[in-house]
Amino acid sequence: MTTVEVERPVALSDLGQETLRRLMREWFEFERLLATVPIVRRLDVGTFTREDYQRLLLNLRPQVVEGSRWISRCASSFDRDHADIRSTILRHAFDEHRDYEVLEQDYVAVGGDLATIRAREKNPGSQALHAFLMFKSGEPNPGGLLGAMWIIEGLGEKMAANWAERIETLTGCGSEATRFLRYHGHNDDAHMDKLYSLVDRICNSEAAANDVISTAKVVARLYAWQLEEIDAA
Amino acid sequence: MNAYLTSTGSFLPGPPVGNDEMEDILGLVGGKPSRLKARILKANGIQTRHYAIDRQHRTIHSVQDMAVAAARQCLDASPVTARGIGMLSCATTQGDMVIPGLGSMVQAGLGLPGLEILTAHGICSSSAMAIKAAANAIKVGEHRAALVVVSELASRLFKNTRYEAAGGQDAIDFNSEFLRWMLSDGAGAWLLESEPRGKCLRVDWMRGISHADSFPVCMSIGTPADVTDTRTWQDFATYGEAEAAGALLIRQDVRLLEHIVKLGVDGALRLIEEGTLNVGEIDHFLCHYSSHHFRGKIATMLEMAGASIAQEKWFTNLYTRGNTGAASILIMLDEFLREVRPKVGAKILCMVPESGRFNTAYMQFTVVEA
Repeated sequence: MTTVEVERPVALSDLGQETLRRLMREWFEFERLLATVPIVRRLDVGTFTREDYQRLLLNLRPQVVEGSRWISRCASSFDRDHADIRSTILRHAFDEHRDYEVLEQDYVAVGGDLATIRAREKNPGSQALHAFLMFKSGEPNPGGLLGAMWIIEGLGEKMAANWAERIETLTGCGSEATRFLRYHGHNDDAHMDKLYSLVDRICNSEAAANDVISTAKVVARLYAWQLEEIDAA
Repeated sequence: MNAYLTSTGSFLPGPPVGNDEMEDILGLVGGKPSRLKARILKANGIQTRHYAIDRQHRTIHSVQDMAVAAARQCLDASPVTARGIGMLSCATTQGDMVIPGLGSMVQAGLGLPGLEILTAHGICSSSAMAIKAAANAIKVGEHRAALVVVSELASRLFKNTRYEAAGGQDAIDFNSEFLRWMLSDGAGAWLLESEPRGKCLRVDWMRGISHADSFPVCMSIGTPADVTDTRTWQDFATYGEAEAAGALLIRQDVRLLEHIVKLGVDGALRLIEEGTLNVGEIDHFLCHYSSHHFRGKIATMLEMAGASIAQEKWFTNLYTRGNTGAASILIMLDEFLREVRPKVGAKILCMVPESGRFNTAYMQFTVVEA
């Protein structure tokens, strides 16, 4: 059976283009917010330690383990009129559904104990983020979650391009300990094609576009909260 | 009321200096050629620039001298007399004197009697602050003519002896050497008036958007090389100790610098959303990008946002005049007006992103005829 996925349009619709512009602004806003989170600030100014890296992985894992659950649930909430979107998202869920194992191995490589990271519960920010994503993904045809993917995938790329090498430099750990962070660097062209296609497919009304933007806003703030909690714990 | 840009001038010291002559002038640190120079020059794309110091590191033109020369060229092209100028608005990254402000020194150099002065403090975008203050003074009717003068003399910071005093080759990293191959010297001047004069530029709007609340410092002088040492240069017992600790070197955090493109585009999108900027109307785009490396990135991001400006509308003289910091946008517009001679009705967008602690400034003009 061939899977029909959404295809990249030749040109975005006006609403699609406007939504993409709004998404870019949400991303810039998120990057500004992230830069004020204490652990990210230490990464930026150069005082980030090996312990910081362990704490980062400890706090990311619970959400990453659950990541494939909300994506799968999101895919299954699209009805047959949206089967092309479902196929695109399912493929994405499959690509990432075991990447928490890579994260666990990184934690061990940086001197952590496997049992410790597996026993770690979600921090308050992770709980809120997970709850929101599961709630949104249970709604019928949850197109707004494109906003969540935009933020979370954007951060994945930022981790690969911007955090991994920096963490190696500051902590002295090798690339065998940053595989999870690097794993999310996407093939740019394919990634952009998918994004353009989903923006155009999902944003066919002002309300749908607003839902995408509002979901991006909420996910950005909850993600930042999840990272802020690293210093609160 | 409106403000009109009626005359411009610029001054670039000495002959153009090619890439292969830079180190002859700035000097070899510890007697060894730089290992990073070629890489940094390849990224920034600059071919020639001007230095106000000579090979013996004597200052041939001070910040004040260059400011005065640019201002004279600007005023010589205008019938406005010295007495007709109500305000002198200046900016520099670093003047000749620590105090008083550059405005006082330029006023003295030009012999302008009894006017209001302003000195904006900052880096590249300090020029935009000085321009906006001058334009606003005219718009509220306080002055009929205001002269803006911006002058930069970065090369004094790049003498080999500066780096040697901070520990020499062993102490220099990419961030502390980066700007040595980027910045150079020069001055620019703009005359703003309350009435149009001949073919001139009407100020449509000016806006600055700063993000210092979000990000750490990205371009600076004043902190030691050790990031865990929180002292700033005046906290040391002597300036000698501060210099030895690297606190007087000019640094660029190259990793954080990547934010400048996104913040510049973000600001443009914000202005589009609020209806201030319509990129479809822009005929000429003068962007003070500090390095060729950023040009493509800005263009790609604007295109993604559906806000692209066609490449043939971009104008820059970065490659031949160098990156003169705050003075760049004034020198760039001066050359643009002389060479391109834009048509009446044409809209010109200027953008000045500053990486210091991330401030971006935008200005739009329309060519009008009195």
